[in-house]
Formats: sequence, C-alpha cells, structure tokens
Amino acid sequence: MRLPRFEFLKPVSLEESLGLLEKYGGKTRVLAGGTDLLVNMKYGVLRPETVISIKGIPDLCSILSGRDRQTIIGASVSLSELAGNSLIAGKFPAFQLAVRSVASKHIRNMASIGGNICLDTRCWYYNQSKLWRDARELCHRTGGKVCHAIKGSTRCHAINSSDTVPALIALDAKIEVMKKGQKRLIPAKEFYRDDGIRHTVLEPGEMVTSIQLPEGNGNSQSTFIKVSMRKGIDFATGSIAAALSVNGKGVSGVRLVVGSIASAPALLDKASQLIIESGLTEKSIEKAAEIARSEVGTLTNLFTTAGYKRHLTQVLVKRALSEIKEKIGRTKK
Amino acid sequence: MKKLLSLTVNGDMYEVAVSPWKTLLDVLRDDLGLMGTKRGCGIGTCGVCTVIIDGKAILSCLTLALECEGKAITTIEGISSEGSLHPVQKSFIENGAIQCGYCSPGIIMTAKALLDENPRPSDDEIKEALAGTFCRCTGHVKIMEAVKKAAQPAGEGESHAPGK
Repeated sequence: MRLPRFEFLKPVSLEESLGLLEKYGGKTRVLAGGTDLLVNMKYGVLRPETVISIKGIPDLCSILSGRDRQTIIGASVSLSELAGNSLIAGKFPAFQLAVRSVASKHIRNMASIGGNICLDTRCWYYNQSKLWRDARELCHRTGGKVCHAIKGSTRCHAINSSDTVPALIALDAKIEVMKKGQKRLIPAKEFYRDDGIRHTVLEPGEMVTSIQLPEGNGNSQSTFIKVSMRKGIDFATGSIAAALSVNGKGVSGVRLVVGSIASAPALLDKASQLIIESGLTEKSIEKAAEIARSEVGTLTNLFTTAGYKRHLTQVLVKRALSEIKEKIGRTKK
Repeated sequence: MKKLLSLTVNGDMYEVAVSPWKTLLDVLRDDLGLMGTKRGCGIGTCGVCTVIIDGKAILSCLTLALECEGKAITTIEGISSEGSLHPVQKSFIENGAIQCGYCSPGIIMTAKALLDENPRPSDDEIKEALAGTFCRCTGHVKIMEAVKKAAQPAGEGESHAPGK
C-alpha cells in the first residue's frame, strides 16, 4: 500500500504550526508519530492535501511536573518516553499501564500521546483498503448513507479504541487545545462525542497541544486493564480505567471509565456512586459490577456482541475495583 | 514537488530527491538499493520493515523519508562488517531461528535495538520488545532462544555496536 500524494509542511515552532493550520483548515492533518494517520492515508480513508509535521517542535516535546500540582505533557511526547518515565509510573499508574498496553514497542517508539488522544475511530467496515471497501456501498464514514455495522442505523458507530483516553478521563485530565490566537482547556471527559465520524470536539484549525494531569493528594489509587485478542499489537476488545480516592471517612471519589466498546468512552456514574455510598468491600464491588452491566448502552455487531460487551464490562469493573482494593490494603500495611 | 534530502544510513551519507509521500522504506529500497529491509503489511503490525533510528526500533513503512533528515539510520546491511556477522545474526543462525528469512531482518534489528539498550533483558522484556514482529514459519520459540543466547556473550567482550 502506498501513500497518496500530499504536500509536506514542517514548521519549526508552535506559532508557525498554528498559522499553517489556520491557513489550510479542514484540508490538512497534523502528523506526529504517524502510526494512525499514515495508516488511514494508505487505506485511502483520509486524503489531506497537506500534512503538517509537529514532530520535534520543542514546545510540544516536554514533560513538566510540579507546577500547581499538575503534570503537563506535550502532545508530541512519544508513548515510549511516557512508559519509561518513573514520575508518571509513580503518580499516575492507570495512565502508565494504559500507555504500556498500546500496540507494540515499535509503535510506542513512534506514536505520540496527542495522536493517541485523537486516535481515529475504528470499524470493521471502515479501516480497510480501498479495494476492500469498494466491494460495498459507501457508509456514513466514507461519505455514503448506510451503516454496514448496524443495519438501518442513521449514524456512524465506529469505535473509539484509544487505550490512554479512559485513563485520562479517570484521572480527571484536561486537554489543552490551541488554534491561532486562541486556547481552550477541555476536561478529557468532555473532549469526546458519541459520534463515529466527528468523535472529538476539535474544530478545524485546532490541535491538541498538551495534557494536564492533576497530581492529587497521595490518597488516591488507579489502575487500567485492557482485554484484547493478543497482548501485543491488537486494539482493545474492551478496557477499563479506575481511579479512587479516600479521605478519613472512607471513599471520597470514584471514576470508572470503559473504553473501546462504543464511539465515546463510557463513564460508569451509577457504579461509581454505589462505591462512594457503600465503601470498597467485596460485596459492594460485586454489586457495582452488576450495575455497570446495565449502565453501558452498548450495541451489537461492532467487533463483539452487545451481550459480550455487557458481560465484559461487569468483569472489568470487578477486576479493576478488586485490584484497587488490594493496592489500598498493601499501602495500609 | 520533490525535495532534496540528505540521509545518513549505516554511516554513509546519501543525497536523494524524494516526494513527500515516500516512506523511509520506499527510499531505502527503491532509491538507495538497500533491499535488506523488507516490505510487509505496510500498516505497522508485522515489524519486517524495522530499522534503528537514533537507537530505537522504528517501522520504516510508517516513517516519512523527509522526517529522517539528520538522523542516524541503521539497517540490516549496516550491522555486519566484512566477513563477520553481528552476534545477533550469528545467534539466529546457530539457534535455527530462521526459515524463509523474510521476517529476519526486522526481528534482528528489533533484537539489536533491545540488546543495545538493555544487554541482559528478562524473558518478559524480550517478549515485550518482539511483540511487534511476526514470524510465520519457524515460530517465536527459536527466536526467543536466539535473542537470549545473543544476550549472553556480552560479558565476553562482544559488542553490539554497528559494524563491529
């Protein structure tokens, strides 16, 4: 598979990148690691006229810690660098586990965190070569009016399969987005839309510039679990990120986020609420997992059936909360 | 449309005029005639196109050639010196880790990158590093053995540096 033709732009500063983004608007794409964008360009599902490389722009390559109890990660930082960073591992276990679970070491050496946040949605009928797709009618995602995954659907149901996104939402991260002369700070959970085509709130001319992770007060624990066909390379069949904080009285906050089962990551508010109300016990974990099952409004046909996804959610919630319970138990000793 | 690019591959400088949409793999094979690096899936899942850029195992099929200016690129051609194979290559032969050989350059470069960074990797570390590669004939057990054996002679003074 060869890449289609495009014009290549290599700005040297953030300012210049934003200028180019404004100039080329919707006809351009930002390239960092290239492990997602170039694949989709080879498939012919994305055909930007220009590609703006932000690899190596100093402002986007740093990991800063400590200021205002925040860790700030530049959008171009590679997943390998994050996976090997002891500060990230110590402060944000769920995030580090999620980063380490992405694809393979080769891909982590190349892929950027900004790219993983903006990872294009996936569908069995979309991420295929042009030859393969040509055998069928165009779907919503490729400019047509049908959905091959869910017959009769009026919208695209492609899946958000980023591994780092559930972790960032669970850890209450904020995503910094810039366009020329403008800056927005968006909570990670508000960054995604339940739409297979426009799955983020990014507007033309905007790009992700950094991620801000609040460092918490040391009374929190988090974890991440990914289920996939093979441990290496494969996208998740389902994943969960869980973060829990305690104060003197008991559990003060819980966030459970399930990824890779729908177009947007699913926040399990009811299951989380139950843990806050009844504490973290074997019994409450069992019950929260049961509630989680009905909380994900999953659809059948996207890689796995709805029944499987519900069951998987239940199992993941139980595993993640049990793991956190064990971690808390260990720190108490 | 073509841009003039200077590439440093295996210590040699090359000047090539490349179109922006050419990957490093295209340029290595089509322009520089370095056929050791293989073309496989083209979408980053098989690892046969692995080269080492600035010490890291990188997929040349998903790297634009224009992004490689000023970087030190090592391909399978650059790890042996005249008449003497690299320890990882020797180990692959001695341990029967090669059958058809198509995946070998990519896996050998992956293993070399690992051993340069971590001369005594654990089994899990080897598995993690090799997870992005595929062998469809000999299986990965022999390959694991070969990488493990290649890791051992570090104490005997053998170097994993390019060309040594």
